[in-house]
Amino acid sequence: MAAANEKAQSIINAAELETQKALEDAKSHLSREAEEVIRNAQAEAEAIRRRQISEVKHKMKLREQQDKNRILSDVLEETRKRFFEIASQEDKYQPFLVELIAHGVDALRLDTAVVHLCARDLNNLDIGRLHREVAKKLKQQVTIEWSKDPIDTHGGALIASTDGKTRIVNTLDQRFEALEPKLLIEAGKTLFGD
Amino acid sequence: MSGIETVRVIVEAEREAAKILEDAENKASEIRKRLESLIEERRSQLLQSARKEAAGILKNAESEGEVEAERHASRSRERLHQLNRQAASRRAAAVEKLLSIVTES
Repeated sequence: MAAANEKAQSIINAAELETQKALEDAKSHLSREAEEVIRNAQAEAEAIRRRQISEVKHKMKLREQQDKNRILSDVLEETRKRFFEIASQEDKYQPFLVELIAHGVDALRLDTAVVHLCARDLNNLDIGRLHREVAKKLKQQVTIEWSKDPIDTHGGALIASTDGKTRIVNTLDQRFEALEPKLLIEAGKTLFGD
Repeated sequence: MSGIETVRVIVEAEREAAKILEDAENKASEIRKRLESLIEERRSQLLQSARKEAAGILKNAESEGEVEAERHASRSRERLHQLNRQAASRRAAAVEKLLSIVTES
Protein backbone atom coordinates (compact mmCIF):
# COMPACT_ATOMS: atom_id res chain seq x y z
CA MET A 1 0.00 0.00 0.00
CA ALA A 2 2.84 2.31 0.88
CA ALA A 3 4.34 1.58 -2.51
CA ALA A 4 1.01 2.45 -4.16
CA ASN A 5 0.82 5.75 -2.27
CA GLU A 6 4.38 6.54 -3.21
CA LYS A 7 3.70 5.78 -6.87
CA ALA A 8 0.48 7.86 -6.75
CA GLN A 9 2.37 10.82 -5.30
CA SER A 10 5.03 10.45 -7.95
CA ILE A 11 2.35 10.51 -10.72
CA ILE A 12 0.85 13.68 -9.26
CA ASN A 13 4.26 15.29 -8.77
CA ALA A 14 5.19 14.51 -12.36
CA ALA A 15 1.95 16.10 -13.59
CA GLU A 16 2.52 19.21 -11.48
CA LEU A 17 6.11 19.51 -12.62
CA GLU A 18 5.10 19.08 -16.23
CA THR A 19 2.37 21.71 -15.85
CA GLN A 20 4.72 24.13 -14.12
CA LYS A 21 7.25 23.82 -16.92
CA ALA A 22 4.62 24.19 -19.59
CA LEU A 23 3.29 27.28 -17.85
CA GLU A 24 6.77 28.81 -17.66
CA ASP A 25 7.32 28.16 -21.37
CA ALA A 26 3.93 29.65 -22.13
CA LYS A 27 4.69 32.73 -20.00
CA SER A 28 7.84 33.39 -21.96
CA HIS A 29 5.95 33.08 -25.24
CA LEU A 30 3.10 35.27 -23.96
CA SER A 31 5.54 37.93 -22.80
CA ARG A 32 6.96 38.08 -26.31
CA GLU A 33 3.41 38.39 -27.66
CA ALA A 34 2.68 41.26 -25.27
CA GLU A 35 6.00 42.96 -26.09
CA GLU A 36 5.08 42.72 -29.76
CA VAL A 37 1.82 44.57 -29.05
CA ILE A 38 3.80 47.33 -27.29
CA ARG A 39 6.44 47.48 -30.03
CA ASN A 40 3.73 47.83 -32.68
CA ALA A 41 2.09 50.60 -30.68
CA GLN A 42 5.44 52.41 -30.35
CA ALA A 43 6.04 52.16 -34.09
CA GLU A 44 2.53 53.40 -34.79
CA ALA A 45 3.03 56.23 -32.28
CA GLU A 46 6.20 57.31 -34.10
CA ALA A 47 4.31 57.19 -37.40
CA ILE A 48 1.50 59.31 -35.93
CA ARG A 49 3.99 61.92 -34.71
CA ARG A 50 5.81 61.96 -38.05
CA ARG A 51 2.51 62.24 -39.97
CA GLN A 52 1.24 65.12 -37.84
CA ILE A 53 4.49 67.06 -38.26
CA SER A 54 4.71 66.24 -41.94
CA GLU A 55 1.16 67.49 -42.51
CA VAL A 56 1.95 70.77 -40.77
CA LYS A 57 5.23 71.14 -42.67
CA HIS A 58 3.45 70.53 -45.97
CA LYS A 59 0.63 72.95 -45.11
CA MET A 60 3.05 75.70 -44.07
CA LYS A 61 5.28 75.13 -47.10
CA LEU A 62 2.21 75.48 -49.32
CA ARG A 63 1.20 78.67 -47.52
CA GLU A 64 4.72 80.08 -47.89
CA GLN A 65 4.65 79.30 -51.60
CA GLN A 66 1.22 80.93 -51.95
CA ASP A 67 2.44 84.05 -50.14
CA LYS A 68 5.56 84.22 -52.30
CA ASN A 69 3.52 83.79 -55.49
CA ARG A 70 1.08 86.51 -54.41
CA ILE A 71 3.92 88.92 -53.59
CA LEU A 72 5.73 88.14 -56.85
CA SER A 73 2.53 88.64 -58.86
CA ASP A 74 1.89 91.98 -57.12
CA VAL A 75 5.43 93.19 -57.77
CA LEU A 76 5.31 92.04 -61.37
CA GLU A 77 1.95 93.77 -61.87
CA GLU A 78 3.22 97.00 -60.34
CA THR A 79 6.31 96.84 -62.56
CA ARG A 80 4.15 96.23 -65.63
CA LYS A 81 1.97 99.23 -64.74
CA ARG A 82 5.01 101.46 -64.15
CA PHE A 83 6.64 100.19 -67.36
CA PHE A 84 3.58 101.04 -69.44
CA GLU A 85 3.40 104.44 -67.75
CA ILE A 86 6.83 105.22 -69.20
CA ALA A 87 5.08 105.67 -72.53
CA SER A 88 3.42 108.77 -71.14
CA GLN A 89 6.75 110.31 -70.01
CA GLU A 90 8.20 111.65 -73.24
CA ASP A 91 11.69 112.34 -71.84
CA LYS A 92 12.09 108.69 -70.88
CA TYR A 93 9.98 107.09 -73.54
CA GLN A 94 11.31 108.65 -76.71
CA PRO A 95 14.96 107.52 -76.24
CA PHE A 96 13.69 104.09 -75.28
CA LEU A 97 11.44 103.91 -78.33
CA VAL A 98 14.34 104.97 -80.55
CA GLU A 99 16.38 102.08 -79.13
CA LEU A 100 13.54 99.61 -79.67
CA ILE A 101 13.01 100.69 -83.29
CA ALA A 102 16.73 100.83 -84.15
CA HIS A 103 17.31 97.44 -82.60
CA GLY A 104 14.40 95.98 -84.56
CA VAL A 105 15.46 97.54 -87.85
CA ASP A 106 19.04 96.26 -87.42
CA ALA A 107 17.77 92.80 -86.49
CA LEU A 108 15.58 92.67 -89.61
CA ARG A 109 18.67 93.08 -91.91
CA LEU A 110 16.66 94.43 -94.88
CA ASP A 111 17.11 97.47 -97.12
CA THR A 112 13.68 98.79 -96.23
CA ALA A 113 11.82 98.43 -92.95
CA VAL A 114 8.26 99.44 -92.10
CA VAL A 115 7.71 100.71 -88.55
CA HIS A 116 4.31 100.37 -86.92
CA LEU A 117 3.39 102.36 -83.80
CA CYS A 118 0.33 102.57 -81.56
CA ALA A 119 -2.31 105.26 -82.17
CA ARG A 120 -1.15 107.39 -79.22
CA ASP A 121 2.43 107.53 -80.52
CA LEU A 122 1.29 108.23 -84.07
CA ASN A 123 -0.75 111.17 -82.78
CA ASN A 124 1.64 112.55 -80.16
CA LEU A 125 5.17 111.97 -81.39
CA ASP A 126 7.11 114.01 -83.89
CA ILE A 127 7.73 111.25 -86.43
CA GLY A 128 10.30 113.35 -88.32
CA ARG A 129 12.41 113.78 -85.20
CA LEU A 130 11.93 110.13 -84.32
CA HIS A 131 13.09 109.16 -87.82
CA ARG A 132 16.27 111.24 -87.47
CA GLU A 133 17.12 109.82 -84.07
CA VAL A 134 16.54 106.25 -85.23
CA ALA A 135 18.67 106.82 -88.33
CA LYS A 136 21.53 108.01 -86.11
CA LYS A 137 21.39 104.79 -84.11
CA LEU A 138 21.34 102.37 -87.04
CA LYS A 139 24.40 100.29 -87.76
CA GLN A 140 23.48 99.99 -91.45
CA GLN A 141 21.88 102.08 -94.19
CA VAL A 142 18.17 101.28 -94.18
CA THR A 143 15.14 103.03 -95.64
CA ILE A 144 12.51 103.41 -92.96
CA GLU A 145 8.83 103.75 -93.79
CA TRP A 146 6.32 104.73 -91.10
CA SER A 147 3.01 102.92 -91.25
CA LYS A 148 -0.08 105.03 -90.65
CA ASP A 149 -2.07 102.01 -89.45
CA PRO A 150 -1.86 101.89 -85.65
CA ILE A 151 -1.15 98.68 -83.78
CA ASP A 152 -2.82 97.68 -80.53
CA THR A 153 -0.11 98.00 -77.87
CA HIS A 154 0.88 100.08 -74.85
CA GLY A 155 3.93 101.39 -76.72
CA GLY A 156 7.04 100.36 -78.57
CA ALA A 157 7.05 99.34 -82.20
CA LEU A 158 6.56 96.53 -84.64
CA ILE A 159 9.17 96.52 -87.39
CA ALA A 160 8.30 94.58 -90.53
CA SER A 161 9.50 93.91 -94.04
CA THR A 162 7.55 95.73 -96.78
CA ASP A 163 5.55 92.60 -97.56
CA GLY A 164 4.87 92.08 -93.84
CA LYS A 165 6.18 88.52 -93.92
CA THR A 166 9.12 89.20 -91.61
CA ARG A 167 8.38 91.00 -88.37
CA ILE A 168 10.25 92.00 -85.25
CA VAL A 169 7.85 92.74 -82.43
CA ASN A 170 9.46 95.26 -80.07
CA THR A 171 6.33 96.49 -78.34
CA LEU A 172 6.31 97.18 -74.59
CA ASP A 173 3.79 94.37 -74.11
CA GLN A 174 5.89 91.83 -75.95
CA ARG A 175 9.08 92.97 -74.27
CA PHE A 176 7.56 92.64 -70.84
CA GLU A 177 6.09 89.24 -71.65
CA ALA A 178 9.39 87.96 -73.04
CA LEU A 179 11.28 89.14 -69.96
CA GLU A 180 8.75 87.83 -67.44
CA PRO A 181 10.67 84.64 -66.51
CA LYS A 182 13.84 86.67 -65.88
CA LEU A 183 11.88 89.29 -63.97
CA LEU A 184 10.36 86.65 -61.72
CA ILE A 185 13.79 85.23 -60.91
CA GLU A 186 15.24 88.67 -60.17
CA ALA A 187 12.22 89.67 -58.10
CA GLY A 188 12.53 86.45 -56.10
CA LYS A 189 16.21 87.14 -55.40
CA THR A 190 15.57 90.73 -54.34
CA LEU A 191 12.46 90.06 -52.27
CA PHE A 192 13.31 86.76 -50.62
CA GLY A 193 17.09 86.47 -50.89
CA ASP A 194 19.25 86.51 -47.76
CA MET B 1 -5.60 -16.80 9.27
CA SER B 2 -6.72 -19.36 6.75
CA GLY B 3 -5.35 -19.55 3.23
CA ILE B 4 -8.63 -18.21 1.81
CA GLU B 5 -8.63 -15.36 4.27
CA THR B 6 -5.06 -14.48 3.29
CA VAL B 7 -5.91 -14.43 -0.41
CA ARG B 8 -8.93 -12.18 0.28
CA VAL B 9 -6.72 -9.71 2.19
CA ILE B 10 -4.20 -9.64 -0.66
CA VAL B 11 -6.90 -9.13 -3.30
CA GLU B 12 -8.45 -6.37 -1.21
CA ALA B 13 -5.07 -4.67 -0.82
CA GLU B 14 -4.40 -4.90 -4.55
CA ARG B 15 -7.82 -3.46 -5.32
CA GLU B 16 -7.15 -0.61 -2.90
CA ALA B 17 -3.73 0.02 -4.40
CA ALA B 18 -5.23 0.07 -7.88
CA LYS B 19 -7.84 2.57 -6.69
CA ILE B 20 -5.10 4.78 -5.23
CA LEU B 21 -3.23 4.72 -8.54
CA GLU B 22 -6.40 5.37 -10.52
CA ASP B 23 -7.21 8.37 -8.31
CA ALA B 24 -3.69 9.62 -8.75
CA GLU B 25 -3.95 9.30 -12.54
CA ASN B 26 -7.26 11.18 -12.51
CA LYS B 27 -5.78 13.93 -10.40
CA ALA B 28 -2.77 14.17 -12.72
CA SER B 29 -5.13 14.37 -15.67
CA GLU B 30 -7.07 17.19 -14.00
CA ILE B 31 -3.84 19.06 -13.31
CA ARG B 32 -2.89 18.80 -16.99
CA LYS B 33 -6.37 19.89 -18.07
CA ARG B 34 -6.14 22.97 -15.83
CA LEU B 35 -2.96 23.99 -17.66
CA GLU B 36 -4.82 25.15 -20.77
CA SER B 37 -7.16 27.41 -18.87
CA LEU B 38 -4.23 28.72 -16.79
CA ILE B 39 -2.33 29.62 -19.94
CA GLU B 40 -5.39 31.22 -21.52
CA GLU B 41 -6.03 33.19 -18.34
CA ARG B 42 -2.42 34.35 -18.20
CA ARG B 43 -2.44 35.24 -21.89
CA SER B 44 -5.60 37.24 -21.48
CA GLN B 45 -4.10 39.17 -18.52
CA LEU B 46 -0.85 39.92 -20.30
CA LEU B 47 -2.48 40.99 -23.54
CA GLN B 48 -5.05 43.12 -21.77
CA SER B 49 -2.28 44.87 -19.91
CA ALA B 50 -0.22 45.26 -23.10
CA ARG B 51 -3.20 46.63 -25.02
CA LYS B 52 -3.88 49.12 -22.24
CA GLU B 53 -0.26 50.25 -22.36
CA ALA B 54 -0.39 50.43 -26.17
CA ALA B 55 -3.52 52.58 -26.05
CA GLY B 56 -1.72 54.91 -23.63
CA ILE B 57 1.30 55.10 -25.94
CA LEU B 58 -0.91 55.99 -28.91
CA LYS B 59 -2.86 58.57 -26.94
CA ASN B 60 0.38 60.19 -25.77
CA ALA B 61 1.74 60.12 -29.29
CA GLU B 62 -1.35 61.94 -30.58
CA SER B 63 -1.07 64.70 -28.01
CA GLU B 64 2.75 64.91 -28.23
CA GLY B 65 2.47 65.02 -32.01
CA GLU B 66 -0.11 67.79 -31.80
CA VAL B 67 2.12 69.80 -29.48
CA GLU B 68 5.18 69.27 -31.68
CA ALA B 69 3.18 70.07 -34.83
CA GLU B 70 1.84 73.26 -33.25
CA ARG B 71 5.38 74.23 -32.23
CA HIS B 72 6.49 73.71 -35.82
CA ALA B 73 3.47 75.61 -37.18
CA SER B 74 4.18 78.48 -34.82
CA ARG B 75 7.83 78.68 -36.00
CA SER B 76 6.65 78.53 -39.61
CA ARG B 77 4.08 81.29 -39.05
CA GLU B 78 6.77 83.48 -37.53
CA ARG B 79 9.05 82.76 -40.51
CA LEU B 80 6.17 83.61 -42.84
CA HIS B 81 5.57 86.94 -41.08
CA GLN B 82 9.28 87.67 -41.34
CA LEU B 83 9.19 86.76 -45.05
CA ASN B 84 6.26 89.11 -45.65
CA ARG B 85 7.88 91.93 -43.66
CA GLN B 86 11.13 91.52 -45.59
CA ALA B 87 9.33 91.41 -48.93
CA ALA B 88 7.31 94.52 -48.07
CA SER B 89 10.47 96.42 -47.14
CA ARG B 90 12.19 95.36 -50.37
CA ARG B 91 9.20 95.79 -52.68
CA ALA B 92 10.08 99.26 -53.97
CA ALA B 93 13.67 98.22 -54.67
CA ALA B 94 12.45 95.12 -56.48
CA VAL B 95 10.13 97.12 -58.75
CA GLU B 96 12.96 99.56 -59.57
CA LYS B 97 15.29 96.67 -60.37
CA LEU B 98 12.73 95.03 -62.65
CA LEU B 99 12.05 98.33 -64.37
CA SER B 100 15.75 98.76 -65.05
CA ILE B 101 15.82 95.28 -66.60
CA VAL B 102 12.87 95.90 -68.94
CA THR B 103 14.06 99.34 -69.96
CA GLU B 104 17.72 98.49 -70.50
CA SER B 105 18.55 98.24 -74.16
